[in-house]
Amino acid sequence: MTMQPQAHIKPVLSVHNISKQFGGIRAVNNVSFDVLPGEILGLIGPNGSGKSTLFNCILGQLRPTEGHCAIKGRATDGVRPADLSLMGVGRTFQQLSVFPKMSVLDNVILAGQEHEGTMFSRLFSKGDAGLTSKAEQLIDFFRLTPYRNTEAGSLSYGQQKLVDAAMAFMAGPDIVLLDEPAGGVNLTMLGYLKDRLTTYNREHGTTFVVIEHNMEFVMSLCTRIIVLAQGEVIAEGTPDQIRSNQMVIDAYLGG
Amino acid sequence: MAELLQLLISGLAAGSIYALAAVGFTLLWQASQTINFAQGEFVMLPAFFVLIGMTVFGLPLWLSIVFGLALALLILGVAFKRLIVEPMLPHGTLPLVIATIALGLLMKESVKEFYGATAQPFPAIFPQTVYNVAGASVSVQDICNLIVSMLAIGSLQLFLNRTRTGRCMQATAQNPAVAEVLGVNVKRMVLYTFLINAALATIASVLISPIYLAKFSNGETLGLVAFIAAIVGGFNQIRGALVGGLLIGVIDNLSAVYVSSEYRSAMPLILLIAIILLRPQGLLGTPEGRTV
Repeated sequence: MTMQPQAHIKPVLSVHNISKQFGGIRAVNNVSFDVLPGEILGLIGPNGSGKSTLFNCILGQLRPTEGHCAIKGRATDGVRPADLSLMGVGRTFQQLSVFPKMSVLDNVILAGQEHEGTMFSRLFSKGDAGLTSKAEQLIDFFRLTPYRNTEAGSLSYGQQKLVDAAMAFMAGPDIVLLDEPAGGVNLTMLGYLKDRLTTYNREHGTTFVVIEHNMEFVMSLCTRIIVLAQGEVIAEGTPDQIRSNQMVIDAYLGG
Repeated sequence: MAELLQLLISGLAAGSIYALAAVGFTLLWQASQTINFAQGEFVMLPAFFVLIGMTVFGLPLWLSIVFGLALALLILGVAFKRLIVEPMLPHGTLPLVIATIALGLLMKESVKEFYGATAQPFPAIFPQTVYNVAGASVSVQDICNLIVSMLAIGSLQLFLNRTRTGRCMQATAQNPAVAEVLGVNVKRMVLYTFLINAALATIASVLISPIYLAKFSNGETLGLVAFIAAIVGGFNQIRGALVGGLLIGVIDNLSAVYVSSEYRSAMPLILLIAIILLRPQGLLGTPEGRTV
């Protein structure tokens, strides 16, 4: 079932035979796949299909019962969240994850600054760590410039999702894991978010792994899709292949 | 009029010291959900560290203050976090609150036991001169206390808003999970908060002890006042704690003269009840909504 990567390209993320058991429930059962540089991979599946468990195994926040995940060849098991960021992994959260009382600019700067400087320079250097112009570029990219100095907590939900995305890109990650980016976002904003993510992927070659419920969003954004049901991979392929796959239709419609 | 001016100035001076304790109180709450009911004792104790430096080690006053600060950072900062907050916090806020109440009692009784129950004179840092300004007696000590406290809180604000570490501390307080994912060393930021609280408590202690003398029971009132000031001003804002502290200092002084000295200590409590009823988030506070 797994699509074999071309031999000479090293995967950014590899998932090897991951299984995760919670008591008597096997939430993820022997899942394997590779994600190549520049891919936008969608991980979809009905509620309880094991998406989030798998996601947390990839991020090193859950220890798999069997198997392992590696980012650029380095195992993520037991890696602290802060170190994951230094390994070149960005992520967005299902819930909003901005710092509500800081301005949009400060939020985005903060997302990049921990990668630079010594402890002394961190303590006493100016707050922007020389990152203002880079942050402004990203804010501009997500067309948040009018809200540059607005407290992030006072923006609309969709706008906060954009800030969240800008933050995930600030440290210049090789791979970004997006946890339900479309959740709770209105249609207009959704199209816009999709456009920005695709453009960023095209311009920077950043790899994305997207977990999502919203089928249309995933279909239009991703280059490859893996479908999970009851902890197992039931289908894998391009959006068109997935759309016409009978097993996927059955899993989603409960047939 | 002269009397009012005089009361205002001494009220602000006392209030600014309350504010130091209240700011530390809110910082701890924001960074680690610690409601420190030993905060009053945190302000009482450093004065005794300074006295130990002077009497036991024979150090000059300034060096004793440095010694007291170092000891406070170590005991009220690092040890408090490592030995009490870290082990208790996973069990919830309430066990931690109870632990801080116990710690306060322990500190109070220890000072009484090991240093003595009588009030100890504490050397004045500033001249005891009193000037007559437009008929009001204005003490240099009051003015200096006000200036030092304001400078301390002002530089803390600058540190938190302008430096990278300060912003990381704010980020940690606002959303620790996300801060960690972004690479912020959350544990270190929390430690910094405890160190800052210990430093603020030491400043408050050194400023207030020349006036009230160093006594084991000083923390009782101070802790209560800091708590009330933090709630009145708004628990999640440094500005709020500052305003709350100043307000209580002024109300305390004014009510002693214009209302009744017998009801003086009731006034902050009346204010507290009024604020809780009318504006529960505090004067400058915003309703707490944590998203993780």
